Amino acid sequence: MSDTRAIDVRGISYSYGNLLAVDDISFSVEPGEILGFLGPNGAGKSTTIKMLTGQVDPKSGSITVLGYDAIKSRAEMQSRIGVCFEEKNLYLNMTAAENLRFFASLFNIADFDPEALLRRVDLVDKSGTHTKGLSKGMRQRLMMARSLVNRPDVLVLDEPTDGLDPVSSRAIRRIIREEADRGAAVILTTHDMEEADKLSDRVAFINEGKIATLDTPENLKLAYGKRSVKVRSRDGDQISEQTVALDGPEAGEELKEAVASPGLMTIHTEEATLENIFIQLTGRGLE
Amino acid sequence: MNPSVSRFAIIRAIVGKDLREFSRDKFFMLITVLGLVAYVALYWFLPSDVEESISVGIHQSGMDSLFAELEEDGGIEFTLVESRVDLETALGFGDSEPDNKLDIGLEFPPDFLSTVSAGEVASVSVLVGPEVPQEIRSAMSSMVREIAYALAGDELPVTRLPEEEIILGQDRAGSQVPIQDKFRPLLAFFVLIMETMALGALVAAEIQSRTVTAILVTPAKVSDFLAAKAILGTLLAFSQVTLLMVLVRGFDNNAPLMITTLLLGSALVTGFGLLIGSSGKDFLNQIFYSMALLIPLSIPAFGVLFPGAAGPFVQLLPTFGLVDAMVGISIDGAGWRDVASSLGMLAAWVLIAFALGLTLLKRKVQTL
Repeated sequence: MSDTRAIDVRGISYSYGNLLAVDDISFSVEPGEILGFLGPNGAGKSTTIKMLTGQVDPKSGSITVLGYDAIKSRAEMQSRIGVCFEEKNLYLNMTAAENLRFFASLFNIADFDPEALLRRVDLVDKSGTHTKGLSKGMRQRLMMARSLVNRPDVLVLDEPTDGLDPVSSRAIRRIIREEADRGAAVILTTHDMEEADKLSDRVAFINEGKIATLDTPENLKLAYGKRSVKVRSRDGDQISEQTVALDGPEAGEELKEAVASPGLMTIHTEEATLENIFIQLTGRGLE
Repeated sequence: MNPSVSRFAIIRAIVGKDLREFSRDKFFMLITVLGLVAYVALYWFLPSDVEESISVGIHQSGMDSLFAELEEDGGIEFTLVESRVDLETALGFGDSEPDNKLDIGLEFPPDFLSTVSAGEVASVSVLVGPEVPQEIRSAMSSMVREIAYALAGDELPVTRLPEEEIILGQDRAGSQVPIQDKFRPLLAFFVLIMETMALGALVAAEIQSRTVTAILVTPAKVSDFLAAKAILGTLLAFSQVTLLMVLVRGFDNNAPLMITTLLLGSALVTGFGLLIGSSGKDFLNQIFYSMALLIPLSIPAFGVLFPGAAGPFVQLLPTFGLVDAMVGISIDGAGWRDVASSLGMLAAWVLIAFALGLTLLKRKVQTL
């Protein structure tokens, strides 16, 4: 294993009875990198997260997080990771600050200041509010804050923006980016392709317990999309559409001509979306 | 962040969090406070002594000395009245409630003495209220017959068999246990059971909302979580049952022994609380499991109120040792040696309840 890897997963598998949920998958994440884990419900994302965070042990294979074996040195590993769950599993009868303070005490953090963390997620004015009085978006931001109480070196986020309003989603994406910039390795599960595209340095497509592909969004788009642009232009009342293949020998000239055309309306690249690529690779959508 | 987090610090943090959550649960706080107040009020409302004698009103003539003699034997208080109307009034058959209501009335005809002395049949009226049990009515009829035989100078038509009285346990003739004291174990049991349900609800909520998962991805281990719940349950149950026992004079006899018994009892119900909390999928489900457990568990405590009502199987129930020890200590003044077997049984059940509760909870937590 490279010493620089924050997470190194080798050939892990897990099954529920006869159902093989995760089938021999391997990947790694570098410090400061955001890895998007994409797949439909039941693909094996959550089981993989459970194994990564020490909730269940893989039936085979190995997981090393920050140099710690996730099974043998579970407590040491867990003291350096932060987890944000899909379920809003907060203590509803406790205030936002009390929720954070409780989790800080599990990490034995001296002089913990919940206000600073709440300020980061724009909830400082809700510090004394019972969690049951917070909106869904606020709860999710509090969940995000909770995952950061120990200033983790690895951040595991399960559907962090699922069903949120644009303001809350934006706030969470900003924090994820800040954490990666600080040097934390981030694993993010989502079935929102757009979010994965915007946030992830690399994405892994998981389907039926296996990783179908793992690469940067750009490389995937290049590999699976068309290298062409679609040009729309107006000539009087007529609207014409022209596809320019970027691999063709005349591509540069054709594109120059299209751009110079006085009736030019729009130019669109024909690159594939992550969703198109996922469907191409797995034969199914994300829902 | 400190990587070497002590187990003690983690358990203390979880217990502190649970206490805060419990104190903010309005439903359980309300039933806890109301329950305690109601139980203490009920205890002090119940009679603290036992009325062991029967008050009998007599309307007769010429037999004053006979009844004075019978009264000296004890157990029956005779009140002589002037007329049948006075007798009925004293028994509460009239329009107004008498100051000292009599239990039973006997009206002897004016010629009773001469009639029975002549060996003839006399008729005596026995007046009883509907609440007087049949055995008391029969006893009164027998007494009248015995008086008649005595006055007539005849022997009773049966030979009195030689008898030996064997008292099983402590002979309480003349010192019956007041209903107040009989209720004490039942009240303590109710407080413990209330806490079983509260702990069950707390554990179930932690599982259903999956907050336990959030705890278990920190340095906290499953064993820390289980230990915290066990400590919390025992602490809550013990503090409340101790407070109740202080308020109902439960520590008058051998307080250290009673405290030990209550501590074991608190641990027992905590084991069951963990079991209930791990079993229930939702509130209704949890109530179902609570009732399924609580009904058999309450039988020994009710057995104190209604001696003989429960069969020998009662000794197999987990709460028998608890109730038996509490009764022994608070009513019979039993010592360590006297209740050793009950406490041993109770301790064994504590281990079983904890083993079951913790195993089920562990399995539940690990499969979330």
